[in-house]
Amino acid sequence: MRPVGLVPCLAMAGCDLAYPEVVVTNQTAETVELRRVSFNGCAWEGVLAFGDSTSPGRCLPGEDRVHLQRLDTAAYCRDQVEDGTIEDLCPCEGNFGGAGPLEGLTNAEPRWFNYQTVSTWTVRYGECYHFEIALSELEQDFSTPGPYGH
Amino acid sequence: MRLGALLAVGVMCTPLVARAQEDVASAAGAAPEPAPVATSGGSAPAPPSSGTPTPPAPEPIEIAVVGRHRASRDRSADTSLIEGQRLRDSPRPSTFEAIAQQSADVYVPGRGALHGVAGGGTGGIRVRGLGGSPNSQVLVVEDGVPDYQGIFGHPIPDAYVPFLIDDVLVVKGGDSTLYGTNAMGGVVVIRNRWREEDGQELMSDSAVGSYATVRETVSGLARVGAWDLAGGVHAMRTDGHRDGAGGDQLIGSAAARYRFTPHLTLTARHKVVHLDGADPGPVTHPTPEHWYDVWRDTASLRLDWRRGRLRLGMTPYLNVGVHELFDGFRSVDHVGGGVAEAEVRAGSITDFLIGTAWQEVGGRVDNRITGERPSVSGMTDVSAYGQVDVRPVERVSLVVGARELLSSSHGAVLLYKGGARWSPFDGLALHTRVSRNFRQPTIRELYLPYPTANPDLRAERSLNWDAGAGHVSEHLELSGSGYRTEATDLIRYFGSWPTAEVVNVDHVVIWGVEGSVGLKRLGPASLFVTGNWQDVGRYTRQNPEAKLDFTLEVGDDLGVGFLGGSVSGEWVHGLYMGDYSRQPIDDVFAMDLSLRYRHESLERGTSLEPYLLVRNLLDRRYAYVEGYPMPGLNALIGLRIGV
Repeated sequence: MRPVGLVPCLAMAGCDLAYPEVVVTNQTAETVELRRVSFNGCAWEGVLAFGDSTSPGRCLPGEDRVHLQRLDTAAYCRDQVEDGTIEDLCPCEGNFGGAGPLEGLTNAEPRWFNYQTVSTWTVRYGECYHFEIALSELEQDFSTPGPYGH
Repeated sequence: MRLGALLAVGVMCTPLVARAQEDVASAAGAAPEPAPVATSGGSAPAPPSSGTPTPPAPEPIEIAVVGRHRASRDRSADTSLIEGQRLRDSPRPSTFEAIAQQSADVYVPGRGALHGVAGGGTGGIRVRGLGGSPNSQVLVVEDGVPDYQGIFGHPIPDAYVPFLIDDVLVVKGGDSTLYGTNAMGGVVVIRNRWREEDGQELMSDSAVGSYATVRETVSGLARVGAWDLAGGVHAMRTDGHRDGAGGDQLIGSAAARYRFTPHLTLTARHKVVHLDGADPGPVTHPTPEHWYDVWRDTASLRLDWRRGRLRLGMTPYLNVGVHELFDGFRSVDHVGGGVAEAEVRAGSITDFLIGTAWQEVGGRVDNRITGERPSVSGMTDVSAYGQVDVRPVERVSLVVGARELLSSSHGAVLLYKGGARWSPFDGLALHTRVSRNFRQPTIRELYLPYPTANPDLRAERSLNWDAGAGHVSEHLELSGSGYRTEATDLIRYFGSWPTAEVVNVDHVVIWGVEGSVGLKRLGPASLFVTGNWQDVGRYTRQNPEAKLDFTLEVGDDLGVGFLGGSVSGEWVHGLYMGDYSRQPIDDVFAMDLSLRYRHESLERGTSLEPYLLVRNLLDRRYAYVEGYPMPGLNALIGLRIGV
């Protein structure tokens, strides 16, 4: 095969390099952290603090919402202070104090809840997208896809 | 067609004749008849075998083509025979999907380059409405050895690569009389290659493509003195078209056959499979961390003795696997057993086949994180079976058979079948068959909480009937069948944890019709279309209502080499993710393109074959499984070198 014939072939072989690039930024609130961020086949590891962005991910062309888990650290702090599970003063607003941990009724594990964006975004080949996640853009995600297979 | 292309077809046909005669001898244990063989999927002017260039035959070799049923041990069975070369040239990502492309009543969903195992796994084969996920109602038999995972009872779809496959025979409607448990909806019989003449050949197939896919296959065949050797290694790695869709595939296979005398042979086979990948999860909620790691090792021996009208064969085998998942799951399973058969031709009108088989399935399961170790019990069965093929008048075959199986968990099971085949004149065959089949519950269904188990499950049973006709001539191939499957005690999961249950369900009837049309060698082109429609009743989950596959092939000899290509496509209609026609998903339609150029140097004894495979040519968004979209337009560029 002549070298010129290889060009379109190699171009096609690398067509996935033209998949849309997506970056997601946490613009919710200073006390809200996001994790397990995903969009149309892309999944990002790690926790996004306020203002943090994911690395660019090559996602499938098409449309989807941004799915994520969210933790309100201020609310978490308040709950723990109420339950008395944190000995030192909490740097959160409103130190309610507490009567000490009630065995079996308190849970110091932070609970992350599933959310998704209200809007659906469409991404296309060869383009780069930057999605900023605002609090007003989030709704709870009740879709719980079951596993296929066995 | 130019003379060179005709020669190429002639060269390609040579092993067909040899194999067909071997099948006849195998089936009848006696003097072979003229070899009536056809291949499903059209007989395009495809490039010849990728093995070592064979010296040109002095003249094109003619073969008689009567019907597509001859390669089966049961003449009355409705079958599709697919050449290994066709599978090697297929643009479809897996062997099972390439098989489904050739026969519309075979449905195999995909999710990308790999099928995977456990949650999110695809690749379950459905034949005429039975099978699926997990695929324990369709039995895969490779070189006489039933091949399935001991705990879950299904084959591993990524464990089959076509580099050494001679042909694949799909027996529609199952045949538990000859093959035992799991041969309920169908049997996929894989037969691997041997070299037919003294010498050796080596083939290397290297390819790179989209998603950082790298694929390398090296295989070799040799015939030296009394030894026949075959072996190969296939390695593939890919990033996949989305997070978690990638993985590694490493398959090694070695076989040796020693001919003590012209009548007595001993064959040893060994195959090792390592698969490494993940369940990418639904596209909206990816789970690339849900990895799996699978090792499988299959070994078998086969002792064959043929003399005159008698053939005796014995095949002990052992299939062992270790499966590990991200959540701590680990299983070590085994399927071991043996088959002993005798085939004899009594007079000129009757062929007898009698056999006995023993099989033991077992294993252990534990969770490496929680330390849990559910209690499981293995299952053993022994059986005796027989088949009689009588030809009371010329061109008519009557086949009856029965199997009595004694199972450690289900007691005695009687299986039987009866069929007939009539070929009123050359090129036309009519057939009908009724077969009583069964499947024993898997260890998972009986004992393992994934998500629930039921130790009181009964074996599934089915009564499959089909009737059809086939016509094959030089340029035309026509076939059609109607079928009815009646199944009782099907095992089904309902609900989800913690309220899930697995139970036997009552009575299911599936009706359907299947047909194919092949226009062969019309100038440089061939066209093959196959379609299937079925009414599967209530159990619609991943059991499509209609499927249509087509392949248009064009090829010609340019004097300096063979240039060929194909456009193929698949349309699937009436797909649901749930039973009772719930959760419908969009029809599947996708097309692939294949281009290849083959140049042989007879002086050097080498061949070069660059090729290009373009999948999802129209860049359509489609999915067989909801949430698992297939890749968009992607390509693989490769080079085959034969020495």
